[in-house]
Amino acid sequence: MSELQSRIKDVIENEPVALFMKGTPQFVMCGNSDRALRALREAGAPVTAVNILPDPAIRQELQEVSGWPTIPQVFVKGELVGGADIAQELSESGELAKILAEKLGSDYRDGAEERVVDVLAEARAS
Amino acid sequence: MGRPGSNGPSLLRKRLRRLYHGGVAVERLESLLQDAFPDAQELRVEDRTGGGDHFQVTLTAPSLNGLSLLDQHRRVNDALAEPLRDGTIHELRIKTRGTT
Repeated sequence: MSELQSRIKDVIENEPVALFMKGTPQFVMCGNSDRALRALREAGAPVTAVNILPDPAIRQELQEVSGWPTIPQVFVKGELVGGADIAQELSESGELAKILAEKLGSDYRDGAEERVVDVLAEARAS
Repeated sequence: MGRPGSNGPSLLRKRLRRLYHGGVAVERLESLLQDAFPDAQELRVEDRTGGGDHFQVTLTAPSLNGLSLLDQHRRVNDALAEPLRDGTIHELRIKTRGTT
């Protein structure tokens, strides 16, 4: 496994909510990533975002790990929830908040903040 | 900034080309999905932007019954693996439903 792939796995497995997206929450570069982010925000999720645009290798390695072909991808506690359509549907039905409470504890909204992780920098540093 | 008339034909050509490519791609995606979901009660592929690479798939099929949303979308992604890989699909929106 490449360093980059293990770094991606780390993010998926260790971050409560991981969002692999085009751009960052501050500067979203794609409509679908925006829909997924909005859905997560509406559910009050603590989002850790990874921008996949800086290097095509991020997307390739991510797809190998998740088996999901499109961006964005949402993970909660290491488990793939889905892409933008699923995140949006689950948010609208209230299901997303239930999943978050189930997996992260009912106080998951407390101190929820958005972070950005640079998997390339981590891969270089380690 | 050319003469006012000079944009006309090329714009028209561009639109026709988009229409053509969009239509071809829609047909290809539809036939892939029909093969994967022969039981589909509703199957629609729409070219969202007219550019032939942003698509909305709407699918209702009994074979999706009992599957989670994630697995339903997985089945659609699997059916469209090739156009997803070769770049035909730049953006894909999926709406699936079982029949129960």
